[in-house]
Amino acid sequence: MAAAMGTTQRKLSDLLDPGFMARLDALDVLSHKVLKGRLQGERRSKRRGQSVEFADHRPYVAGDDLRFVDWNIYGRLDQLFLKLFLEEQDLTVHLLVDASASVGMPDREKNTYIRKLAAAMGYISLAGNNRVTITLFGDGIVGQVANMRGRAYLPRMAELILNTPTEGTSDFDKACRQAAGSRVGTGVMIVVSDFLFKEGYESGLRRLIGGQYELYAMQTLCPQELEPELAGDLKLVDAEDADSSEITVSAALLKYYKRNVTAYCNGLKDFCVRRGATYVLANTSTSVELMVLNYLRRIQLLR
Amino acid sequence: MQFLTWTLGLAAAVVSIPLLLLLYFLKLKRTEQLVSSTLLWKRAIQDLQVNAPFQRLRRNLLLLLQMLTLLAILLALAGPVASLFAAKGQRYVVLIDRSASMNATDVRPSRLAAAKAGARDFIESINTRAFFQLQESGDKVMVVAFDERSKVMCNFTSDKRQLLAAIDAIEPGDGRSKLGEALTVANAFAQSLGDEANNRSPLAPAQVILYSDGRIADVDQIAIAAEGLVFHKIGTSSHNAGLIAMQARRSYENPDEVTVFTTAANYGPQPVACDIRLGLNEDVLSVRTITIPARTAGTDETPDEPGKTAMEFSFLHPGSGVVEVRLLYEDDFDRDDAVWAILTPPRQLSVLLVTEGNPVLESALKACPISRLDRATGSEFDAMDHGILTAEQPYDVIVLDNYVPAEIPKCRYLVFGRPPKGIDVVVPGQLENQMIVDWRSRHAVMKYVNMATLFAAKTYQMILPREAEVLAEFNETAAVSLIQRKGSLFLLAGFDVLDTNWPFEPSFILFFYNALGYLGMQAGAVESRQLGPGDPILLEGLDSYQEVTFESPGISRQKIQVDPNGSVRLANTDKVGVYTLMPDEKNAQAFAVNLLDSQESHIEPAEELVLSGEIVRAESGQSIRAGIPLWPWLVLTALVLVIVEWMVYNSKVRI
Repeated sequence: MAAAMGTTQRKLSDLLDPGFMARLDALDVLSHKVLKGRLQGERRSKRRGQSVEFADHRPYVAGDDLRFVDWNIYGRLDQLFLKLFLEEQDLTVHLLVDASASVGMPDREKNTYIRKLAAAMGYISLAGNNRVTITLFGDGIVGQVANMRGRAYLPRMAELILNTPTEGTSDFDKACRQAAGSRVGTGVMIVVSDFLFKEGYESGLRRLIGGQYELYAMQTLCPQELEPELAGDLKLVDAEDADSSEITVSAALLKYYKRNVTAYCNGLKDFCVRRGATYVLANTSTSVELMVLNYLRRIQLLR
Repeated sequence: MQFLTWTLGLAAAVVSIPLLLLLYFLKLKRTEQLVSSTLLWKRAIQDLQVNAPFQRLRRNLLLLLQMLTLLAILLALAGPVASLFAAKGQRYVVLIDRSASMNATDVRPSRLAAAKAGARDFIESINTRAFFQLQESGDKVMVVAFDERSKVMCNFTSDKRQLLAAIDAIEPGDGRSKLGEALTVANAFAQSLGDEANNRSPLAPAQVILYSDGRIADVDQIAIAAEGLVFHKIGTSSHNAGLIAMQARRSYENPDEVTVFTTAANYGPQPVACDIRLGLNEDVLSVRTITIPARTAGTDETPDEPGKTAMEFSFLHPGSGVVEVRLLYEDDFDRDDAVWAILTPPRQLSVLLVTEGNPVLESALKACPISRLDRATGSEFDAMDHGILTAEQPYDVIVLDNYVPAEIPKCRYLVFGRPPKGIDVVVPGQLENQMIVDWRSRHAVMKYVNMATLFAAKTYQMILPREAEVLAEFNETAAVSLIQRKGSLFLLAGFDVLDTNWPFEPSFILFFYNALGYLGMQAGAVESRQLGPGDPILLEGLDSYQEVTFESPGISRQKIQVDPNGSVRLANTDKVGVYTLMPDEKNAQAFAVNLLDSQESHIEPAEELVLSGEIVRAESGQSIRAGIPLWPWLVLTALVLVIVEWMVYNSKVRI
């Protein structure tokens, strides 16, 4: 396991630095719906479970419930380990990550940010012994690793996140249709994307919101998109469909653009809130660490 | 307003307006910028267009401004003018004064240049026939340059280039200005037969535009309607002092002595003190300082009178030469600052000696500076054609040695012995042993001649008419006397030299020298070597088809061929100065062309022309134009529009 962790961390460390990962270990994904997990252990369930199936140990991290410390191991090894039980991790965390060409623009910044965020969420979920499915989508699903559980899957997750190229057009509706079909059980669905879909995000999100899943829409936009600094006569070319639109940058145009960005984000937020989903705007100028450790905890996605 | 070249403007418009529109659609070479999605931009653009109708207007405003700019430039190209004269197809006669006074430099570089510049401005503003325009509707202009004579530089035409070239070709002259001939010529061309032959209605008289300083000699003889003449005054100053009269003469008494009379005049309001220099063949003989008083202002009836100073120079010079008198004074007009006179040497005489053989006379004549000495006996002389002798005067002096010819051709005679018949001299008889008692030693003939020792064994007694001049007297009768009869001049010595002791006296040769010189001076008028500007030079008696070298002021040597009659005639004596004709190296013939004209020296421009009864006021300052060109204003408008467009464009881009 140690060897496996080593390789995992080396690969994963391309995205997340070890210090950050250590802090992520303390976090876990929280579901407000507190579903019918056959719980016992880390997660309280409405339904009291009967048997406790041991699944794994993990090192103790400050803040863990002392009740689950395996004192036997402590007695033998003089080290604190936590007992993890299978029934307790019935929470499925489904990450739907945008891998279309648009996130690769205007520079790789947004892509990196999205991948980092996905990796951090994946790490937290895996470390928390949740059932994790990571789906990368472009024009439909372009890469998926389903039903991972435990740290052993970290390398696979890292491989998926790191190696799936950013290209092609996005068909959010198709991706959502496929993703919604593939999910099982209950849990949390986190969509990390810029949500700049020409055909609209509404139908896709609508497919995801139903059922036993709690939906988080994390809209990742870079400062270039929020506060563009352009000048002159430009021909803007869409990274996905090569659609172009000619603009002459003017104060008025920029004013309208900003107004549109705000309106678009607010529209998405409204859409989510009205359907019980949570909307998160992730500006890439805010670091992933800050985002995860502070903001996501504040909205109680993580605890 | 009308357009000078509206077809040109139209042609340019046809090309450039669609081009501008095309450019407007193509003009932006946009920089490509890859963005994550054009979704939001498209919405922004839509918002911009929907929410800000003014943006659309601004976009159109740019096009509008560009169209206006282009329109202004196109209109400027079409050459609009605000017409000052009547209708299209007007005819103008441009008269340019090229007389001496137009060389004045009070207007830089010269008055003529200023007049030409004014005329050029006028030509530029006329309405010419444009491209593609078939009917002849343009203005027509004729260019005439005039001084004493007029020269048509260019007949009526609308071709600006031809007209401008004609104006450029006008050379300054040094003649007087006379307008009459120029106007006559212009009128003759204006009423050309061609127009009447085409059954056109009689043409309106052409508008005459005169560029002159108004110093026109015959202005009061010109009959032209005052409204038909626009007088453009050239010149500002009256600052001029010059020489207005000059004559160089050899003294009768002493042919070597040359006297130069000259008069300097000052036309300026201030007295002038300056040096006057006398030169001979480029050597300075004398410099004097003179003061010329200022002009006296005239009243309404009398014109201004220039201040005048006359002076006289004398010097000795037996040979030929060019006398130059130069006023060393800087003023605005230099053509009258120098005058020249040609000195010819005392004549080399050709002499006919009529004798039966007299070696004393012959040797005495040979000792004198004569070019030809012919001998004839009395019968030979009578056989000569006396008509030719009278008409052609082949001999300057005929010496009659004791011979009384039957007829006396017109000539100058030195007579020894019996005086000829028919000259009212009565010869009662002969006297013997006569001594000189008195002689007029101050007469040119008797100068340095000591007659005191003259003794005549025999002499004719002569009773002279009252007006005869007695130069020497014997005790009983006149010895040497001078008498003029029938157009001939007789110097009578009533004795045969062989009957006297005179041949042995030094005074004998001196007498011959003086007598021939004196009689030679009386020989016909020397051909005029003093000319006015434009007077032709005529030199005769050359070999036919000979090459003659000709030198004139400002022009280097040129060769001229003598015509079959053996004469050379040169008319281009427009410039003052010395002209030299050289049939061969030794025989240079010089001619002096002098201005010597107080009308031209008075360079103050006239404010008005007093035509026969009508007064034409000078139009000064602004140059005369057929119309005011408006294109600079249009170009200015275009410039302003471009600036406005730039500002609008910038305000659109500013963030």
